[in-house]
Amino acid sequence: MSDNLSRQGMRPAFRRWRAGRPFWGGLLLALGGAEILLTEKVSLKVAMHIGMQGMTGYLLPVLMVLLGLLILFSPSQRLFYSIVGVLCTLGSWLTSNLGGFFVGLLLGVVGSCLTFGWLPDQEPRSERRRRKREAKSATKTELQHQA
Amino acid sequence: MASPSDANSSAGNTPENPETGSAAETAEVPERRGQVRLRRAAVMAVPATLAAAALGILTAQGALGVQFSISGMPFTVTAKSLDGTGFEQFGDLDNMIPNSPNAGDTGGQVLVMTSAIKSATLDSLCQSVDLGGINLLIKAGSGSTKVTASDLTTDSTELSGDASFGNIEIGNDASTLTKAGVQGKKGVFSQQSDTVHIDNLRQTNYATTAGVFKLPGLKLSFSDSGC
Repeated sequence: MSDNLSRQGMRPAFRRWRAGRPFWGGLLLALGGAEILLTEKVSLKVAMHIGMQGMTGYLLPVLMVLLGLLILFSPSQRLFYSIVGVLCTLGSWLTSNLGGFFVGLLLGVVGSCLTFGWLPDQEPRSERRRRKREAKSATKTELQHQA
Repeated sequence: MASPSDANSSAGNTPENPETGSAAETAEVPERRGQVRLRRAAVMAVPATLAAAALGILTAQGALGVQFSISGMPFTVTAKSLDGTGFEQFGDLDNMIPNSPNAGDTGGQVLVMTSAIKSATLDSLCQSVDLGGINLLIKAGSGSTKVTASDLTTDSTELSGDASFGNIEIGNDASTLTKAGVQGKKGVFSQQSDTVHIDNLRQTNYATTAGVFKLPGLKLSFSDSGC
């Protein structure tokens, strides 16, 4: 009984929560935006972009963070968020220290793509593979019958 | 109660089944959960990668370096001396963001002179931006280690100093420059040289880009007077 209780604790709940949304996609996109924001502060030391790019340098990474969080908390709109997210990420190359020196750009693109490719309520991979194999063998036997 | 085969057969119509028997059995039931379909992800990954590669190549060619959305706020750069190898200079137009408050009667465009230096060493660099009465001052490289920059590109409106060039070619077409790897527009006057040395450099810039910019001994401060 105590075993049962511990299993109903935080971790299974988190697992269920995670299963219902493109968790890694949203997280990576938000992290990418945060990384770019971080390099913008350090950029005073590295690049002499002060006063040059005005707000856009900060606007795009802030949007990336927001879109990443929105993907996590409002997953039904994920297609729109991921498309805007990938555009913001690519735009940050021009405005924000080459997309936070590649790292934020990479995280953002990977996160957006994972979100775009995510579908809810899928059967496990092994299951799908098995079914595909079955379908293939089925058509093969059918062909043999026809021949 | 729910053996794995049972769950499989009914998997098509039950989306989720959180309360199934004992814990041991739940672990065996194949969970239906959200998943990344690789082909679907590739629909976005392929064009995104291509776009990122295009951006990278254009930047490496210097084509994107001078297309910054500039704020229209000029900043001044001074240095005791500048030593560089691979020097180019040509005229260009910089664009401000649409409806920039700094546009005035310029239509949002500033005629600039683009200077590109393959690798440069600057002694006692000072940079100041006028933020309306107060100046943001950045100083670096006044110690023993100098400021170094590679693929340094500046768009300036004013440039003064005592300059000497090695192997200079004057009057090339800006699109045929080779020394610093940056090309300008066709039919624009330009000059290039193998080496450049400028004493008492003073520049009014609208944009600076550099591949690598190292600023040893950086000091940031606000001041009434600029550089």
